[in-house]
Amino acid sequence: MKPMTAAEWLEHSNQNRGAVAWLLAAALTGFYLVLYFTEWLNPAAKALGLDGKWTLYGLLYTIAIIAGGIHVMRKYRRNRYQLVRTAVVIFVQLTFAFSIPQLLKFLGKPELYFSYLWPLKIDYLDPRNFHHYPLPFVIYSIVGSFIAVPVLTLLYGKRWYCSWVCGCGGLANTFGEPWRHLSAKSGLAWRIEKITIHAVLVIAVAITSLWFASAVLPEHQPLARAGDLTRQWYGLLVVSMLSGVAGVGLYPIGGTRVWCRFFCPMAALLGLIQKLGRFRIRVKRDMCISCGLCTKYCEMGIDVRAYAQSNRGFTRASCVGCGLCAEVCPRGVLRLENVSRRDPQELTLQSFLDESWKGGYSSPAWRE
Amino acid sequence: MKVLIIGNGVAGVTCALHLRQLDAKADIAIVSGETPHFFSRTALMYAYMNHMNRRDLEPYERGVWKQQRIELIQAWVKELKPGAAIRDDGREIPWDRLVIASGSTPNRFAWKGIDKVQDGLVNFVSMQDLDACERLTPSTRRAAVVGGGLIGVELVECLRHFGREVVFLVREPWYWPAALGAEEAAFVTEHLRAHGVDVHLGEELDEILTDSAGRVRGLRVKSGGEISCEMLGVCAGVRPAADWLKQTTLGVACGRGVIVNDRFETNIPQVWACGDVAEIHRPGQPPLIEQIWYSAKRQGAAAARNVAGIPANYEPPLFFNSSKFFDIEYTTVGDVMRLPAGTPTIYRRLPDRPVSQRIAHDGGRVLGFNMLGSRWNHEILERWILERRSPEFVLEHLEAAQFDVEFGRAPLRRMTGESLPLKKAGAP
Ligand SMILES: Cc1cc2nc3c(=O)[nH]c(=O)nc-3n(C[C@H](O)[C@H](O)[C@H](O)COP(=O)(O)OP(=O)(O)OC[C@H]3O[C@@H](n4cnc5c(N)ncnc54)[C@H](O)[C@@H]3O)c2cc1C
Ligand code: SF4
Repeated sequence: MKPMTAAEWLEHSNQNRGAVAWLLAAALTGFYLVLYFTEWLNPAAKALGLDGKWTLYGLLYTIAIIAGGIHVMRKYRRNRYQLVRTAVVIFVQLTFAFSIPQLLKFLGKPELYFSYLWPLKIDYLDPRNFHHYPLPFVIYSIVGSFIAVPVLTLLYGKRWYCSWVCGCGGLANTFGEPWRHLSAKSGLAWRIEKITIHAVLVIAVAITSLWFASAVLPEHQPLARAGDLTRQWYGLLVVSMLSGVAGVGLYPIGGTRVWCRFFCPMAALLGLIQKLGRFRIRVKRDMCISCGLCTKYCEMGIDVRAYAQSNRGFTRASCVGCGLCAEVCPRGVLRLENVSRRDPQELTLQSFLDESWKGGYSSPAWRE
Repeated sequence: MKVLIIGNGVAGVTCALHLRQLDAKADIAIVSGETPHFFSRTALMYAYMNHMNRRDLEPYERGVWKQQRIELIQAWVKELKPGAAIRDDGREIPWDRLVIASGSTPNRFAWKGIDKVQDGLVNFVSMQDLDACERLTPSTRRAAVVGGGLIGVELVECLRHFGREVVFLVREPWYWPAALGAEEAAFVTEHLRAHGVDVHLGEELDEILTDSAGRVRGLRVKSGGEISCEMLGVCAGVRPAADWLKQTTLGVACGRGVIVNDRFETNIPQVWACGDVAEIHRPGQPPLIEQIWYSAKRQGAAAARNVAGIPANYEPPLFFNSSKFFDIEYTTVGDVMRLPAGTPTIYRRLPDRPVSQRIAHDGGRVLGFNMLGSRWNHEILERWILERRSPEFVLEHLEAAQFDVEFGRAPLRRMTGESLPLKKAGAP
């Protein structure tokens, strides 16, 4: 038996799918169900002088990111990458994801979130919305999604978005810190992830295409209706259930990046671009002691150790570049880098489809 | 062909996996006593501190063994005969080729009172040691750890993690003189003290005190004082686990470890040994026993080639390694502390943080690096040594070898330094 005080037991139970974790998960999931499917939170919001439940939610979300962010900055105070990154996450949440949209609403303008882009917010590229949005925002959305996102991702990897800007990632990396190690690491999880995440991307692209088709061909109303119907289901299933209820509600059970890893269409797209870009995790030769901390603390369930112990630098589509593997590694084996050299990534269809060496074994430990 | 490997440590397992790549048909079995599955011994401390579950210590998914057709047998081998290994339950495992990779075993000394100890004394090498540590921690208020090396400091960190008072007895005049210079050791010791460790330098265990039930209750040190403690961690080095072999009838020749040539062949045909247990004899060189993770891995891979009939002569690389003392990371290349006392070194430090660099040289070319508190790419440092670069060149280009996180490079320009001849413990 390990020595445990009451506080240690609480922490252990919380972080290892114990009773505390299940209770918390039930509470969080319950909160999201109430939020999405009832109006019960409106009175509470009104009592606080807010205009409705969504503003209350935004406020709570921001508080969670700030409080969690401060905790994370203290915990990793020796790691400048974590300090800078977390500070940016807090800043983006406070401004682009909360104050600015509230201010716009207060000024009687549409409530716009500059930190979200298509295909995460598919509505931003619904041509019918272009009439209500200010023109600069329409331009921002289009340039953002089709030029800025790919270029930045080629240069810096998907991390610039997924773990510096995005609110979903922001919550995971701050409030979600105690549960990051719970992500599934099995080969099975990896096979499921490949299918689900790309399926959601395909659906998001399909909906947008239907909208555009109906805008270009206005006589084809069924196209727009098909798009809208799909959008309704998408909203219920993907946005409410997967990103909210399952994505955050199950933090204490399934780990923090379930949404980002299995479902987020933005992450899927950025991941594919990342495979072509400069970002990689560099591995020092023969320095890994296979301790497994990197794998354990990877929130995306990447078996980092599998690469490190076989001396392979790598770029995984799912890697959000949070940098925690490099932080926890007790032998300083790993380093996040942006380099223009093509190696170690081979650009074959195989490397896109099956990036995992999990089942297999190959090690260049022996060199002639 | 039946290949039997004794020991599922990193040497044995790497050997098995490489052999499978070289020979798709061989029957490969691994027999090991400690655990059913290969685990990372280096991560014992993280399991102790609850950063990892035991299952997390396994570097490969369990499906790998079946997929690679490697049979795993959990048993202790007690006797070896030509063509068969005898398990502790008396059953026989046949072999055509045998690889001995039985690893290391902790050193113990004939301290006074050790014969009376029934409980409270631990090592920190095996899974069973971890069981014992976990069992004893709740009933321990203060622990003493003997042995100033890496494993000792890891055990100390675990005990401090659980808020136990820890007395750390280091026999040498400074912490880990086999790896650290006096200057580095001084601030590592300061760091340990800041973490609440009661470090005693130049102090040796003399007698272990026990209560009526045989549980450790304290110890007496050579200088005369008494320290009360409920747990005693002995981390005074390891030696090749070869004692058991000396009792077997196969007749494998042993020195300190199993004697092999640079193809890992023992004196008995069709029998090889690799990893921590191997004592490698190469013509014109002193015997070599490597007891680190990457060497066990490389030896296992090289041994696999020889077992498969592809001759491969083993050559150890220029020595490098890394470790961590609480928060201070350490990278070394070139085995600095093996250089003779008085070797010129450039020693530089940050005034306000435990960050230091030591570059040993012979006036013309660099010989080795001891770097603390920041991360380094040992591949570049190694290349500079092999390319016989001058200390001036290295200092000028040092930035290229930094491996710190982005935004977090140690500020080399703020380092202040001096030339220091290398001091060695025991040398004037
Ligand atoms: C706490 C700790 C921390 C360490 N940290 C580091 C580090 O940071 N960096 C580093 O480079 N090295 C480190 N090491 C050293 C490293 O772990 C060893 O060099 C490495 O594990 C050796 O591997 P091996 O396969 O030769 O032997 P082992 O890992 O010792 O495996 C041998 C196996 O054989 C089994 N066995 C032995 N005899 C028999 C028998 N008769 N029958 C059946 N089975 C048998 C044993 O039970 C054992 O499981 C550390 C060691 C310890 C204990
Ligand atoms: S944390 Fe570092 S040493 Fe441990 S398995 Fe990962 S890369 Fe290897």
